[in-house]
Amino acid sequence: MFSYVFMKLLERRPPSYDRQMDRSSGGRVLQIKKQVASQVQPGWRVLELGCGTGELASMMVAGGASVLGFDLSPAMVDFARKRADDEGLEQRFQVEEMGVDGMDSLEANSFDAVVSTLVFSELSTDERRFALEQSLRVLRDDGRLVLADEVLPRSAAGRTLHAMVRAPMLALTYLVTSTGTKPIPDLAEEVQQAGFTLDQETRSHGDSFALVLAHRPPRTAATEPPMDPETCCTDSLPGPEGDR
Amino acid sequence: MNPVKTLWSLLFRLFPCPVPLGLHQVGSPGPDSPVLVTCNFHLTLQRLLRVLRRDGVDAWLLVAESRGVNVWCAAGGDEFNTHSVVSSVKTSGIANKVKHRRLILPPLAAPGVRAADVHDQTGWKVSWGPVRARDIAQYLSEGKKRDEPMMRATYDWKERLDTGLGSLFPFYLVGALGFAVLAPTLLPAYLWVAAACFVLFMLACPWIPGEHGLTKVLILDAALGLALLAGEILWPSGTFPARVHLVIAMVSLLVYGSELGGLASTMPSDLDPFMAKLGIGAVGNVAWAGTVRTELLNGYRELQLEHERCIGCRQCYQVCPLGVWEMGQDRRAVQARPQLCTACRACLVQCRSGAIQARPTRLGLEHGLG
Repeated sequence: MFSYVFMKLLERRPPSYDRQMDRSSGGRVLQIKKQVASQVQPGWRVLELGCGTGELASMMVAGGASVLGFDLSPAMVDFARKRADDEGLEQRFQVEEMGVDGMDSLEANSFDAVVSTLVFSELSTDERRFALEQSLRVLRDDGRLVLADEVLPRSAAGRTLHAMVRAPMLALTYLVTSTGTKPIPDLAEEVQQAGFTLDQETRSHGDSFALVLAHRPPRTAATEPPMDPETCCTDSLPGPEGDR
Repeated sequence: MNPVKTLWSLLFRLFPCPVPLGLHQVGSPGPDSPVLVTCNFHLTLQRLLRVLRRDGVDAWLLVAESRGVNVWCAAGGDEFNTHSVVSSVKTSGIANKVKHRRLILPPLAAPGVRAADVHDQTGWKVSWGPVRARDIAQYLSEGKKRDEPMMRATYDWKERLDTGLGSLFPFYLVGALGFAVLAPTLLPAYLWVAAACFVLFMLACPWIPGEHGLTKVLILDAALGLALLAGEILWPSGTFPARVHLVIAMVSLLVYGSELGGLASTMPSDLDPFMAKLGIGAVGNVAWAGTVRTELLNGYRELQLEHERCIGCRQCYQVCPLGVWEMGQDRRAVQARPQLCTACRACLVQCRSGAIQARPTRLGLEHGLG
């Protein structure tokens, strides 16, 4: 059982982010990134959502891929660009300063894989849905989706234990940064809802962390996800009771 | 509805209290209904929904990211910003719900959310709505027209009690804990005296002499000090019954008044520029040193209008909550009442042509601004 909510603390200082993240997670963050990078094949063009310091991107480039990463934090983007520069990755690692809402500017059918670690737990429900819809759009047929993030354990006991383990870190993070992250109720389910075919979901950290592997089904009329404006986005409105 | 969260966000407004982002339906909105945008602070959303429902408004309401802070504070601290609104518009699916492309934003969001940039990035046009939620129904029914009072921030007695309670309660509580531990016998006296001082000061503060909160409380403290002195002289040594009460009153007033400007919607902050001068630039997540706002307040910068660059977009006039700007005969802006400015930066952020600038003053140049 573990929580990564403290990353909001470390995000304030990009140069030491990776080292401290890895140390405070007992080496697990680096392990996760290695797992994600191992899913990427040489020659692939990869989109990384929330690339942070560019550590994962750098691993994927070392494995022969080329990466377009984006991040909302200007400090992280600066740091990632510096890394690309220092490691001589310019040609194969590009960084944009934007959020997932900017993904609609990316070309359709232009990536072999979309990857993201510890980003979805910082997004709202709408933003996650949008990011997944856009990922589906920018991926080529059979393109891979690889997500690693904090999720809610499936059993009630697990959720209680997770909340208890998380509480002190959440409190400290909230005190210093006035913010936090939210474990995702069911990441694999959201991925499938968006129209992906789920290949594998691996849970770890006492069921509170998920590595989700999925792929984009080929573009035929039958598998195109429903985009009916009337039904899209209606079901999961977070509106309070009694509004409607 | 979560009454515990509402009470918490009422009394501990200094701490963020976020609600989920997303689209809410108010009443029964249709494809022509207005789209309102607000922050994701729990108390703001509760109050806004209550007022809109009471007034029978049918609208879409987009709750955008402000990190759980109220509209004005979050806009000032750049937590409620252009990206918050752009992201909400794009990811909420609102485009599929309405035929028009117009957002109504609270004008107090103007220091953070740049209308022109939202339009460029989403194609949605921003209209600045009324400052207060209770005017929204009238604003909508009158064809989205605002009269002067709808555009201006006020600081009436209810608002004074409300913002005062939200910001000062933690200090009151800390005082109570201090008495409970160190001098429990004096706790009851503290509880009622400090509370009474708060209510009386907030109700009476416009009529207390002095331009700043600190001057106001120092004048009151001087009066109370004289009363204390008189009591000590008139009563036999050490028996003046109101001694403790007067001391508690003097100290509490000092705490309440020292940053009245930071609570008031119509006064500039006193504490932030003072701390910046002392060289204390930030506490936790909140920074003031090096910000344009603090530099304006300290006289290191001043707002200047380059008359010939003004294109008459009226944004400054529309967003200033104090009425600093007017539109002149030549349809260009005029800084009509600069003395009312609280340095919120709304005009500076919204100006389409860059005609409004925060230029370093001579004092600012002496302090190293370039």
